[in-house]
Amino acid sequence: MKPTVVKIDNLVKRYGELVALDHFSLEIKEGEIFGLLGPNGSGKTTTINCLLSLLSFDKGEIEVFGREMTPTSYDIKREIGVIMQNVAVLDELSVRENIDYFCGLYIADKEKRKACVEDAIKFVGLEDFVNFRPKKLSGGLLRRLNIACGIAHKPKLIILDEPTVAVDPQSRNRILEGIQELNREGATVIYTSHYMEEVEQICTRIAIMDKGRKIAEGTKDELKGMIRNSESVSIEILELPDDVREKIAHLPHVYETEYDGTKLTVRCSGGRHNLIRILAVLQEAELGFGRVYSELPTLNDVFLEITGTALRDSKE
Amino acid sequence: MFRHNLAYELKEVLRVREFVLWLMLFPIILGTLFKVAFGSIYSSELFDSIPVAVVKTSENAVADELLKALTEGEEPMLAATFTDAENAKQLLLDGDAEGILTIGESMELTVARTGMIPTMLQEIVSRCKLYETVIRDAIATDPASVETVVAKLSAEVNACREVSPAADNPDVYVQYFYNLIAMVAICGNMTGLHVSTNNQANQSQLGARKNCSATPKGIYLTAGLLGSCIAQSVSMVLCVTFLRFVLRVNFGGSLLLLYLAAILSGCLGVAFGFFIGSIGKMRHEGKSAIAITVSMALCFLSGLMMGNIKGILATKAPWVNRFNPVAIISDSFYCLNMYSDYRRFITKIIGILIYITVFTVLGVLFTRRKKYASI
Repeated sequence: MKPTVVKIDNLVKRYGELVALDHFSLEIKEGEIFGLLGPNGSGKTTTINCLLSLLSFDKGEIEVFGREMTPTSYDIKREIGVIMQNVAVLDELSVRENIDYFCGLYIADKEKRKACVEDAIKFVGLEDFVNFRPKKLSGGLLRRLNIACGIAHKPKLIILDEPTVAVDPQSRNRILEGIQELNREGATVIYTSHYMEEVEQICTRIAIMDKGRKIAEGTKDELKGMIRNSESVSIEILELPDDVREKIAHLPHVYETEYDGTKLTVRCSGGRHNLIRILAVLQEAELGFGRVYSELPTLNDVFLEITGTALRDSKE
Repeated sequence: MFRHNLAYELKEVLRVREFVLWLMLFPIILGTLFKVAFGSIYSSELFDSIPVAVVKTSENAVADELLKALTEGEEPMLAATFTDAENAKQLLLDGDAEGILTIGESMELTVARTGMIPTMLQEIVSRCKLYETVIRDAIATDPASVETVVAKLSAEVNACREVSPAADNPDVYVQYFYNLIAMVAICGNMTGLHVSTNNQANQSQLGARKNCSATPKGIYLTAGLLGSCIAQSVSMVLCVTFLRFVLRVNFGGSLLLLYLAAILSGCLGVAFGFFIGSIGKMRHEGKSAIAITVSMALCFLSGLMMGNIKGILATKAPWVNRFNPVAIISDSFYCLNMYSDYRRFITKIIGILIYITVFTVLGVLFTRRKKYASI
């Protein structure tokens, strides 16, 4: 069994009357890309700040690499790389100087640092911009610089707090691929985001948060397995008699049908060949239909079913 | 790690445009403007001897003696041209003489226009006539005292001179340059504020990133403060050097002590900014506005914008001058210049050191927190 890298036990953090973290617990194993998924204001960043010992908390325990995490745990901090939600670089320093500066907060040896800085520049693909000041970089390049500053010292645990906010798709893909590469090289990754597609794409295990609580945890398949919906079939159809809709509703595994005059949505829980059975009913009734597609459940469906609100629609 | 932090702090501060503009270029520009403005005041204040044509119609020993007193010395009141009546008239008409002084049995003045200088001439001649009467009376009543009377009156005829309370430099306008240096020093608060903001997790993302790092807070905080003090010292040395050697402002006193006072004053400015930055959770922009407002108010009270404010405060509220750090800074330069012993200067330097210590200690106490209740 792989060792535990991060252990958060029963964490409570209050801001006056507001409970930001409500008995939140978590265990992250070595080599995982662990996703913290939740809407804005769900407590993801608060969790990260407590984990990094930046924030005081009211109750609970935090261990990193098997040791208690305190503000003066410099030996633990040496193994952690942090990429903050907002870009945190020095405006008056060039790209290379910025990376060297932040790397120097972890590595004192100049030669070793130089090699690390060059590796980080290559890793984020900023070779052509090393002498640029941050103000001259585009949003995507700036994010890459932010990441390079956080990972240059080759940490064993990398924490990324919403690193792709306001980033173009090309840079986003590059960032996500980079995270997976860092993981392949041996780093454990904690990735917070409110973009479920990203979390689904790269995370090996996910915890879904809402209002400071962990509402579900597992692999993406385990999470999807927790809900009733296993497949949503959508058919564009202009005419749907009630008896036909009734027939579809009584098919095996179908638990919900929805028709808005142009599109029929059929939600199924488990089972195979749901699409074929639904189409057979329509053909039997000699009804014409347009585009047909079948969707597997997303993490949004998981969030929707557990909390009653969609992840995207949740209030900040 | 300390050297690494210090090197990058210096690199960063010296590249900040506001720092270069306000702490390096602004004093040079303002100093030059002061010099230009005060330069014209100096030239208008210099007394030029009044040109007069002197026509002697008969011998008058008393009048000759008085005229000698008026036309000799370093800054004589009159520049006399001895000539005949015809030529004197021509000189007056050509404007080469302001008046014709005719010395016969008595002194008579002829002028061609009205104005300040003819009036002055009129006054001089009236006084001379009075002195002539006094001397003639002395000759008539006590001939032995004539020499003493003439000597006294001659001395009185010469212009009065201002006597400085101490040795070096009686230039009243140099006070504006002291205040300018003091302003540059207190504006060092910009870099101090920068150190405070960039190192606190609840003030900036940069601060949060540093607080997460493997470098203890004390190291990057000390490096930041030292870097800011060095950068500020550079700007202070540059400012004093420019004023002293390019604009040739006469600061008097010891130049080395002047540099020392300027550097310590710069450190006071940094410590002041660091202290302001460490209080509360207000955003950097808000704190920056507070620091600038307070600095400018202190500069005003020390006389940067209104030269006589310090004198007014000295009579109405002397404690303001005693506690105003900008006034203490400018006073340190003044003491260095005006007093031959260093007792007062040392007192002011001790005041500056106390302020540096108090601001730094309070700033460290407020920023030393390791964890924050909210970010």
